[in-house]
Amino acid sequence: MKRLSSSFMNMVLSLTIIALVAAALLAFINSVTQGPIQTIKQKNEADGIKSVLRIDASEEVKVSEAEQDGFRLFSVSRADGSYAGTAVRSTDKAGFGGDIVVLVGFAADGEILGYQVMEHAETPGLGARAGEWFRTASSSEEKQVGSFSKAFFGKPDPAGNHNIIGMNPGTANLTVSKDGGDVDAITASTITSRAFLRAVQSAYNVFKGQQADAATSATAQHHE
Amino acid sequence: MNNLKVFLNGIIKENPTFVLLLGMCPTLGTTSSALNGMSMGLATTFVLVCSNIVISLLRNLIPDKVHIPAYIVVIASFVTALQMLMQAYLPELYATLGLFIPLIVVNCIILGRAEAFAAKNGPLPSFFDGLGMGLGFTLALTVLGALRELLGTGAIFGFTLLPASTNMLVFVLAPGAFLTLGFLIALFNLIKK
Amino acid sequence: MAYILIFISAILVNNIVLSQFLGICPFLGVSKKIETAKGMGLAVTFVLVIATVVTYLLQVWLLNPLGLGYLQTIVFILVIAALVQTVEIVLKKLSPALYQALGVFLPLITTNCCILGVSILVANGTYDAQGLEPNLLTGVLYALFTAIGFALALIVFAGIREQLSLVRIPKGMQGMSIALIVAGLLALAFMGFSGMDKGIAAFFN
Repeated sequence: MKRLSSSFMNMVLSLTIIALVAAALLAFINSVTQGPIQTIKQKNEADGIKSVLRIDASEEVKVSEAEQDGFRLFSVSRADGSYAGTAVRSTDKAGFGGDIVVLVGFAADGEILGYQVMEHAETPGLGARAGEWFRTASSSEEKQVGSFSKAFFGKPDPAGNHNIIGMNPGTANLTVSKDGGDVDAITASTITSRAFLRAVQSAYNVFKGQQADAATSATAQHHE
Repeated sequence: MNNLKVFLNGIIKENPTFVLLLGMCPTLGTTSSALNGMSMGLATTFVLVCSNIVISLLRNLIPDKVHIPAYIVVIASFVTALQMLMQAYLPELYATLGLFIPLIVVNCIILGRAEAFAAKNGPLPSFFDGLGMGLGFTLALTVLGALRELLGTGAIFGFTLLPASTNMLVFVLAPGAFLTLGFLIALFNLIKK
Repeated sequence: MAYILIFISAILVNNIVLSQFLGICPFLGVSKKIETAKGMGLAVTFVLVIATVVTYLLQVWLLNPLGLGYLQTIVFILVIAALVQTVEIVLKKLSPALYQALGVFLPLITTNCCILGVSILVANGTYDAQGLEPNLLTGVLYALFTAIGFALALIVFAGIREQLSLVRIPKGMQGMSIALIVAGLLALAFMGFSGMDKGIAAFFN
């Protein structure tokens, strides 16, 4: 078969046909994949909320969503109606590489149940470790370094704690130890750590604010 | 037999990364770990094989003067299809590779093979050419990713092999990509001589 | 203030070539001489700014209203290819001098991934606008500064390579190998800027 000649008609025809077939094919794939893409987005969000509240992924829960000052709050109650906690999606704009978005789970008294870093642009191997760092206890290696400097230089143990799970931002000082707080920053990533802790703290503030609102409106109703 | 030769040609003799030095952006940008490098390589292979076959089938129906735009439409369609499929079924990988998935369109390897091979050969040899080139690219990206991951984090495919004290973080970051590839190409030159 | 931050971030902190890995092909390919590097840098700046405006308007006025967001990749690459052709023809007619300077680089630009990459980033609003709203103005500024960053990296690299051609290099390292290692050292130098934009932002807030 000989190649089609480059007449104007042939050029327009062949390009149009190729473009039309391509567009039709893509429209079809789009219609097939749109469903799964949506479900995955919803499922990821639901799984994230459950995991930061330490609820089993298979458990049926009721989530009511609210928005306040740009934060999204998800109050979760279990199947029997009891309150399981609230997950707050919070953003800090001053990470090392840009925005840090975290989802933090709080119990009724404000205790941190868990967290998840949803979006970040931190340096891999340094700031990007925030996803693990703030939920793990100091490793034995860090402890050794600490006791070494204590024994030889008489300095206080620098390897304190960087696990924020179980802390309550209402009572604990949720800033890095360099700023006089209770949490150890990620090694060589103080800016990321500060931004992360700010995001957690502001999530807590919004959560407490909402609780207070709910309490006043509840008492108001009571008086009627 | 002939097809086998076409297939092996892309993996060793005309390896797109180490010999032809094509597609440098994804090679450097996505190889911070072995898994990322391999995934990017396989995604590119998918597009390369599909576009090679289709372009080979259409080669006589496309007038010469418009062959570049026609090829670009074919390639971009497959990339878009890949984008949607990955978003639906491999969302985490899609998030990791990010911008580099749509940028497969401008990977010189794909348009280059369409021009140099698929436009002149039948569908079956074109398939093997695409597969060979794609796997050669995948191999290069996996090796580069594995080396950077090992030097930077002490692990390969997430399995820790070296203690944390030997980690050189710079290899996971941007400069490490250039340095590792530079030394790998020097090594390849040395072996070839 | 934020505009200055976009400037610093796009040129030094998140340099498109040395930290984002876009536009590596021309970076390695046309960096043997400072003269050609200048021409390429100028051509990329020119096309990138126009392409960003056109693709942004297409996305906002055509693709989004019609719900055709999934055709982004295919539409953008075709528009960029057509645009490069048009620029070439228009330049030839209007300014032969400029065409003389940029002409040879224009065909190479279609497959320069920093054009498509930046267009997608701006159209999706996923670039770092330093706290400003991602819109046409910040998008175009981001594109312009990114292109200047590209030109800067290219010209500096070409300068080093000109010097490098005068020294003796071990056989296996000649050519691309030593070029990549130099690029690596340059990237290492640019890493010194990392976090600078956020630092300045924090200082003034």
